[in-house]
Parts: sequence; structure tokens; C-alpha cells
Amino acid sequence: MRSRLRHASWGKIGLVAIVVLYILWSLAPVAIAFLFSFNAGYSRSTWQGFSMQWWTGPKSVFNLPIYTDAIRHSLLLAVLAVIITVPLGVSLSIFLSRWRGITARPASFLATVPLVVPELVLALALFFLVTKVNLPIVTLGTSGQVVGQVTFILPLVIVITIGRLSSIPTGYEEAAQDLGASPPQSFRLVLVPLLQPAILASAIVAFAVSIDDFVITQYMSSTSSTQSVPMLIYTATRGGATPALNAMATIMALTTIVIAAVGFALYRLLARREQITDAPATAPALAVSREGAL
Amino acid sequence: MAGGHIQITDLSRLYGDVLAVDHIDLDMVPGEFFSMLGPSGCGKTTTLRMIAGFEDPDSGQILLDGVDIRHTPPHKRPVNTVFQAYMIFPHLDVYENVAFGLRRQRVGKDELRRRVGAALELVQLEALAKRKPSQLSGGQQQRVALARALILEPAVLLLDEPLGALDAKLRHQLQDELKTLQQTVGITFVYVTHDQEEALTMSDRIAVMSHGRVEQIGTPREVYDEPTTEFVADFLGISNLLSAQAVSGVAGECLLRVGEFLLTARGGETAARGQVRCVVRPERVDLEPADATGPNRVPGTVERLVYLGSATRAIVRLATGQTLQSLIPSDGRPVAFEQGSAVQLELPADALRVLKGGGRAEDAPDAEQVLGDQLEGAADA
Repeated sequence: MRSRLRHASWGKIGLVAIVVLYILWSLAPVAIAFLFSFNAGYSRSTWQGFSMQWWTGPKSVFNLPIYTDAIRHSLLLAVLAVIITVPLGVSLSIFLSRWRGITARPASFLATVPLVVPELVLALALFFLVTKVNLPIVTLGTSGQVVGQVTFILPLVIVITIGRLSSIPTGYEEAAQDLGASPPQSFRLVLVPLLQPAILASAIVAFAVSIDDFVITQYMSSTSSTQSVPMLIYTATRGGATPALNAMATIMALTTIVIAAVGFALYRLLARREQITDAPATAPALAVSREGAL
Repeated sequence: MAGGHIQITDLSRLYGDVLAVDHIDLDMVPGEFFSMLGPSGCGKTTTLRMIAGFEDPDSGQILLDGVDIRHTPPHKRPVNTVFQAYMIFPHLDVYENVAFGLRRQRVGKDELRRRVGAALELVQLEALAKRKPSQLSGGQQQRVALARALILEPAVLLLDEPLGALDAKLRHQLQDELKTLQQTVGITFVYVTHDQEEALTMSDRIAVMSHGRVEQIGTPREVYDEPTTEFVADFLGISNLLSAQAVSGVAGECLLRVGEFLLTARGGETAARGQVRCVVRPERVDLEPADATGPNRVPGTVERLVYLGSATRAIVRLATGQTLQSLIPSDGRPVAFEQGSAVQLELPADALRVLKGGGRAEDAPDAEQVLGDQLEGAADA
């Protein structure tokens, strides 16, 4: 311990201090918001004693329709986003990475454009599209929100999946076909199982991003029935909200954290079980073998 | 199992504007162990992939037992492949990897179990059936790849450098096993390798390839002892080439002038005249004391001696500036020469072969000078 202290320079201590301060700074507000959901009074800034009234009972988060509707709507949007973006994004990625046509490169570039376009710009553009052009299914409201979120989330799924795909040699699909699997069978029996970790990671990211999304969801909303949790939190802070709002924010934060944690654990498990063994280098064999005819 | 007969005629494959495979003809007879041998980029793997169906030929024909398979997709061709990096499915255990092909054919439960068992037994992997690929060694993975391909009883088994990823000792052991296995199952093996030793020890016949073309086809003994081109002579074994002037000779013989000395060659293109290239295998070159006399001898100076264990390699510089190598077997007696010794090299007429493609009188001496310089550089280093 003594020798460690002796070797610790002021630079190191400074770095550690910055890290600790940063963690405290980013966690403290969350902790405080969480704490105030147990406030005995109506204030969200003055502590008036401990109470469970915002978690259970008539004034609780679970008894206010406006809150429960928002939670239900946020979950609906997140589930729809996952159901649509994951299969679509995975198929697109396979198409883009395994397709050697001349347009594959521009196409994969275009697919990632929404990633770099500011979300607000994308939201405005979508808003104009939906309100000025009469689209068949997409209108302001749930359908518009889903389409907007899908547009925004799809590139994330593609980036994750293409990353994994590039580490899977095409030889696996060739081996499957060599053994009698048709191209669709080799896709289903070999490529999809090998992509499982990427599929899982994509689903987690899609869910978390959808739950968190405010800008697009706000622009594409119609009536109060299409209000998501972030929208509610944003508007409610301006009006008179009770600590039940803190309880709701806590629920959303915990949901995201738990799903991300479970997903990460599953990902680690899958990735370990289905290790792709790298082919050892073959180059040294050449040098040795030229001498081998002695 | 009966072996398949592969006939390739005028097969070509372009990559961009490079001819990876340049109008080749090959005939692989049923049940033989046929190797395609050459350096990387010689077109051997591309040819194999065209037989498997992973590459489309730009021209030519591939017949399997008389049927054109050029437009048959890979999963419908009666050939199977052992891939270079094995490509064992990492999400399936050994048993399911081996059963993969049979499941696609929808064979019955009992037959599946029986045949997977037999295939695992063939490659001695019964005990590891429940293992995941990541728990297998390189050699074991190679056996899974073999069992997985052989279980479908293909007419032809294609092997793409299957031993390339293994260490030298295991490679030697598996060479024997592969050869025995091929004789047991009796099907045609088409084997791609850049390793001349592998090709020589296992093959019934070898096609030596270079720049998309077939340089020579023959038994291992033929391509090693009777190379017809400079490339084959150089690629198999140690480069031991000699530039000479072919002056005259009776039928079946060729009189060669090397500097002021005359040598008789009885192998190869003995009818060639003018500037030619010749090859002599180092193990056929005899090193003798400087006072030795007799026909087919040239004097030289020992430039370097390299101890190789089973033999000693002597690099000898001739008066013309060319170098030749001689292998002195380690027979217990000390080598009678040292660096700088003046010696006589005996090049037996039967071992001296005149190669095809000689007669380029202008640029041959330059090429020889370059070769000499390279060897000199190697000796200095």
C-alpha cells in the first residue's frame, strides 16, 4: 500500500478525481429524482419526509390514467420498433454485405445517412411528408411515430449487424451449400444462428432508443393518446406535477437498465458459446515446405 | 463407393482483366488422388471452386461422369469440399456438423444415426460427438470437416489445402492418414496445395500449375525426376538449373557446352539446339576431389556448406560463374570438403535434363547472371 502511494503521481490522482466526480455528477440527479418519488409532500424540490404515496394508493403513478397511458404507449412504440427494425435491419445488412453488386457500397452508405442527419431535421422532414403528402397508412399518431422511430433506429441495427457479419466468413454459407443446403436453407440454418448475438444486441438498442426518443415521437404525435413517457415528462415539468412523475421517470430508467443488463448478459453468453474460430495463418508452411524434398 | 470422373476442357476464369485460370484441360480419372500444385495465385483454388460450383467459369466445360455440371448450383453437385479453414459450423456440435448434409437429404432417423456413427468412426472421433467446435484442436476440426464431407458419399472429394493450418508434425501424420482414407473409400480426391512435399507423398498424379496454366501433369516421380519446364524443375525440390549451349548429339543424347567443358545429357528435350536451360537434382550431383577424372565432370569451388541433418548441402561455383548444389548424404563419415575447396562435380548424363523453352540466346546470359547474383547474395546473408 505504501509503495503504491509513493508511485501515485498527482496526475493519476487528478484523473481518478475527474472520473469519480463525473460519475457522481451524472448519477446524482437520477438519485435525487428517485429519492423525491418518496416525498411525503407535493413538492419535487423540498424534502417533506418519507412516504410511499406516489408508488401505491390513489395518488400513485399507477392510478393516474395519463401516466399509465403514457407508459403503455411508450412500451407499445418500443415493442413495435423492435419487431420492425430487427428483421428489416438484419435482412438489409445481409443483403448489403453479401451482395457484391456495384450498388452495394452506395446503398450501405445511404442506409446509414439517418445516423448523421440531426434528429430534429429528420423529424421536421417526416412531419412535412406526413402532413403535406397524403400517405396511405402513415398519419400523425401511432403509425407516424412508429415509422419515424423505425427510420431513425434502422441504421443502428444495420451498423451492429454488418459489424458481426463482417466477422463471419462467407465460407460458412458455402460449406452449408456444399453439404446440400439451398441458399435460403444456408441462410436460416447457418447465418441466422451465427448472427444471434447481433440480433439480440440490435433488439436491446432498438428498445432503449425507442423508449428514450423524444424529438421524432413528439413531432409525429397527434392526440394525448399518443403521448409517450418522455413527452409527458417534458410537458409535466412545466405544469404542476407531483412526485408521481419522479416515480414514473424512475420506472422508465429501471426498465431500460434492466433490459440492457439482461440483454448484455445474454449477449456475452451467446457470443462465448458460438465463438467463430479463426483460421490459423497458413503462410509459414510455404517457407518450410520448399526445403522438404530432401 | 465409386470414384467420379472429372473432365475439364478449355476452362477459364477472369478476375477483372487477370486470367486466374487460363484455358486449362484436366482429366481426373475415377478413384485417383489428383493434386493441383502451385504457388498462390496459380489458379489451383479457383479451379477447385469452379468444380465445387462457387465460381462460374468464363469459358469451358466441367464434366462429372460425362454430365456437364457447369450450370448445376453447388448444393446439387455430387461433390463435397473440405475447406481450407474447415468452416465447421460453430453453433453445432460435432455430431450435428457431421449430420448436417444427411439432414438436408431427409434420411430416416435410424439411418442417420448409423451413418453419422460410421463417419465419426472412420475419422476416429466417436468420443467427441458432443463437443463444440471451439473445444477441438486443429487436427480434430480437420477430421470433422472430412467426416462431414465423406458422409454424403460424394463421387469426388475436393480438398482445399486442408493441412495448411496445422503444424509440421501433425501435417506429416495426417498426410499418411488422408492417403489411407482415400484408398479405403476409393473415391476421387482432388487436392489443392502449395506444398510440394504433400503433393509428392500423397498423389497418384500431380498437375503443376503456374499463372493459371498447367505446366506439367504426371506421377510424383515424373514431375520430380522428369520435369519438362523450368518452372516445374524450380518449384519442385531445390532449384538446380544450369545454362548451357546445346551443340550436337546423337539420337536421345545432347552434347552441352558449359564454358570450356562438354557434358552429355540424356534427359528431356535432347533434340534442342542453341542456348538451353538444364536441371539436375542436387542428390544426383556427385562431389569429387579436384583430381578426379572422367566424362561429364566440371570443376568448381565449394562456396558454402550447409548442414541439414540428414544431408549436407554444398553450393559450388563453376568457372562460368554459375552455381550448382550437391547433396552429400550424412552417412557417418565427415564431409571431405570445406569452404574454398576445389572440386570436380559429376553430373551423370541420365540425371541431366534439357528443359523446354530454351533457345533464347540473347537474354539467357543475363538471366543466368541474375540467378548467380541472387545465390551469391543468399550466401553472403
